[in-house]
Amino acid sequence: MKTRLRGFDYVNMVVLVLVSVICIYPLWNILAVSLSDGIYAAASKVYLIPKGLNVETYKYVLHNPRLGVSQGLWNSFAYTVVGTLVAVILTFLTAYPLSKKRLVGRKTIMLIFVFTFVFEAGIIPNFIVYKSLGLVNSFWVMIIPNAINTFLLIIMRSFLDALPEELEESAYIDGANDLQTMWKIYFPLARPAIATVCVFYSVAIWNQYLVPAIYLQKQSLKPITVVLYNLIVSGSKDGTSLESIKVHGVQLLPQNLQAAAIFLSVAPILIVYPFAQKYFTKGMLIGSVKG
Amino acid sequence: MHTALKGKSPGARSNVWHKMWRSRLLYLILLPGLIHMLLFKLLPLFGLVIAFEDYNVIKGGINSIIDSKWVGFAHFEKFLGDAYFWKLLKNTLLLAFFNLLFVFPIPIIFALLVNEVRFRKVQRFVQTVTFFPYFISSAVAVSILYTFLSPQGGLVNMALQGLGVEPIFFMAEPGWFRPLYIMLNVWQLFGYSSIIYLAAMTNIDPHLYEAAELDGATRFGKMFHITLPSIAGTIVIMFILAIGQIMTVDLDKILMMYNPSIYDTADVIQSYVYRQAFATKGFPNYSYGAAVGLMQSVVAFILVISANRASKKFSDSQIF
Repeated sequence: MKTRLRGFDYVNMVVLVLVSVICIYPLWNILAVSLSDGIYAAASKVYLIPKGLNVETYKYVLHNPRLGVSQGLWNSFAYTVVGTLVAVILTFLTAYPLSKKRLVGRKTIMLIFVFTFVFEAGIIPNFIVYKSLGLVNSFWVMIIPNAINTFLLIIMRSFLDALPEELEESAYIDGANDLQTMWKIYFPLARPAIATVCVFYSVAIWNQYLVPAIYLQKQSLKPITVVLYNLIVSGSKDGTSLESIKVHGVQLLPQNLQAAAIFLSVAPILIVYPFAQKYFTKGMLIGSVKG
Repeated sequence: MHTALKGKSPGARSNVWHKMWRSRLLYLILLPGLIHMLLFKLLPLFGLVIAFEDYNVIKGGINSIIDSKWVGFAHFEKFLGDAYFWKLLKNTLLLAFFNLLFVFPIPIIFALLVNEVRFRKVQRFVQTVTFFPYFISSAVAVSILYTFLSPQGGLVNMALQGLGVEPIFFMAEPGWFRPLYIMLNVWQLFGYSSIIYLAAMTNIDPHLYEAAELDGATRFGKMFHITLPSIAGTIVIMFILAIGQIMTVDLDKILMMYNPSIYDTADVIQSYVYRQAFATKGFPNYSYGAAVGLMQSVVAFILVISANRASKKFSDSQIF
C-alpha cells in the first residue's frame, strides 16, 4: 500500500507513543520514586530517573513485619499457586464430561452454569453461605469459592469439544475407561487451553481484593492487595500515614515506602507478563468465537 | 470399555438410564464441579429469600434463614420510598452511562489508529504496552492514583502548584469521583478491549483496500468506508455485551476510592449493599441489603436478556 498522507503517519505514531507512555509512566515513576532518596521524592523532583539511587527502601519494606508487606506477598503467592492448581483441576474435571455429546443432561447443566453466571446472588447471600461453610478467616476462602469461572469453563469446554471424537473411540478399543482416556489422552492434548486458563486464574487470584477484604480479618492471612490498601489508602484517609525514618544515611519517607510496596505487588505480574499477554489474547479470541 | 463402544452402534438400547449408566465414570468426574456449583452458585440464590424476611443476624448461618420471620415485600417497599435509594440509582445509572460513553468507543478509535501503523514493531510495542494496565489490580491502580493526586507532594498537585493553582484534594471532592473512576477504567481497559477489534481487522480482505485505492480513496476514506464497516459486526456484539453489563460497577475500585465525603456521587447500589452488611458500625441490616442487591440483580438480568434478544434480532450472533 502506498500512502499519500505522509504527515498522518507521523502524527499517528506520535499520538500512539504518547498513549503508550501514559499507560506505563505511572508505574515507571513509582519505580523511580521507590529507588530514590526521600529528600528528592518529598520535593517531587523524581520524574524519570531515581535521584540518590539506593535500595534501602526495599530492604526496609521487606524486613519490617509491622508493615506486613512481605507477609502479604507471601500470602498472595501461596493463594495464587494453590488456588490456580485447584481451579484448573476443577475446571478441567467439569469441562471434560460437559464436552461429551453422549452425556445425558449436559445442555441443562451448562445452562445452569450460564444462568448463575448472569444472575448472581450478591454479596450478602454469599456471605451467609461462606460463613456457614466456615470459610471466614480461612485460607480456603481464597481457593474454593471461585475455583470455577464460567467464562473459563466455556473456554475449556470449547477447546475439548473441538478435539476429534475418534481419539476417544480408539482409546476404548484399547480397553481404556473414561478416567484413563481423560487423563492419558485428553489432558495432554488440552495443554494450550490449560495454560490459558492457568494464566487467567492466577492473575485473577493475585489481584483479588473484595473477597479477602470481606473474609480475611486476620493480619496473618491478608494478601498484598489488602495490605497495600491499608498502607496507602486508609492511611491517608484517617491521617495516620507511615512515618519517615533515616536508614544508613538515606531518608525514607512515606512516599518511598508506598512506592516500593506498590512496585513489589506488581513485580510478579511484570515477570509473567510476556506469557500472560499471549495467553490472554488467545483466551479472548477463543471465548469470543464460541462463547 | 466395550460397553461404551456398543453405544455407538444404532441397534443399542436407547434407554436413558442405560445411557447414563454407561457414562457413570463421566458423572463421577463431573461430581466435584456439580457440588461446587450447588454450594457456591445455587445455595446463595436460595439465600436470597432473606430479602423477603427479617433475617436474624445474631444466630446467623443457613438455619436461621428458615427460622426468620417472613415479611414479604416490606424491604422493597421501604427502599422504593427511601429518597436515598433514588440517589443510589441515579449515581449507579450516571456512572454506568459515562462509563459506556467513554470505555466503549475509545478502544475502537485506538484500534483504528493502531491498524494504520505501517511498522510492525511499533504496532507490537504499542499493543504490548497499552495492554499492560489490564493486569494491574484495582488495588494497585487506586494506590497509584492516591500517590499521584496526593495534596502533599503528589505529582499532579505539584504541577498545579507550578501553574499557580492551589492544591486540590481530588479524592475528597465529590465532583472529581466520576471523572477519576472513568479515567481509571479507560486506562485499565482500552488496550485489552482493542484486541478484539484488531483481530477483526486482520480478517479484512486486502483486495478491498486495493480496489478502493484504484478508485482514489484517501487514508481516511479507506478507514471510514472499508475498515469500519468491516468490523461493524464485532462492534455490535461488543456493544450488546456492554449494555448487558451496564449495571456492573467495579466494586473494588469504588470501595477503595470512596470515603464519606464523596458518598454524594460515589455511593452506588452495590457499595451501599456492601456497607449495609460489613461497614455499618451498629447492627448490620442483611435483609435490607439483600433486597437492594436483588433489585439490582433483577434489573441487570433483564438488561442481559434483552441485550441478547436484540443481538439475535439485529445480527445473527447471540451471546448465549
